Amino acid sequence: MPVAQTTNFGTISYNPDAVICFPKGLPAFEERRNFAVLQFQDSAPLTFLQSLEAPDLCFVAMPVLAIEPQYRLEMSREDLEEIGLVVDRQPRMGDEVLCLTIVSLGEGGPTANLLAPVVVNIQNRKAVQAVAVQSGYSHQHALFAHEVVAC
Amino acid sequence: MLMMSRREGEVILIGEQIEIVIAHIGRSRVKVGIRAPREMLVVAHEVKLVGDENLAAAKIGRGAEIVTILKKIIQLPQASQSPVEKGINRQEAGD
Repeated sequence: MPVAQTTNFGTISYNPDAVICFPKGLPAFEERRNFAVLQFQDSAPLTFLQSLEAPDLCFVAMPVLAIEPQYRLEMSREDLEEIGLVVDRQPRMGDEVLCLTIVSLGEGGPTANLLAPVVVNIQNRKAVQAVAVQSGYSHQHALFAHEVVAC
Repeated sequence: MLMMSRREGEVILIGEQIEIVIAHIGRSRVKVGIRAPREMLVVAHEVKLVGDENLAAAKIGRGAEIVTILKKIIQLPQASQSPVEKGINRQEAGD
């Protein structure tokens, strides 16, 4: 298995099947294309998106549905096209796409970016951070104990 | 802030190089065309918010703090994954 140097985890070996590629990077990280999707038994369903190009870049993410069971995807045609999905309908979460939300830690506690979920096409592992401009979801959705459910 | 009323098809100029066309006015959305120098970044405000949020998120890394906080919130043992996620994600670090 290939190995990568990382700041947070030291040297990791990863399954090539767990690598996702953002053809255009992520907002503010346009040059970062390849990430290993890591989970650890003691912290699942927390999911770490470790850059394979920048050892010190690692996002903490969670399945969107663990935070918002009723979450509705609203991907633009451009985003659907970018990861090779049909453009005339929204993909099914869990079946066609893996949908993660990046977590951040603000002064008021942890927040999840529901405005822009990371959507991975399970078939080709291409990914996009899909900014849902009309969804009404917040980029700083506060995480409280009662809101998170097992999914 | 300068406010300006424009009809469909009309244009606003900003400086010498930026042209904004009100391409279409719908019931609740306006389609705007923007002509600007290639090196000038033009994005929806939300994309900027997401970029800033990503920069903030990148700082926490695997910081023990965030994992501890989130563990409390999500009561880890009960949380399970969908089979699909298990298939493409399950990965243990060799550290």
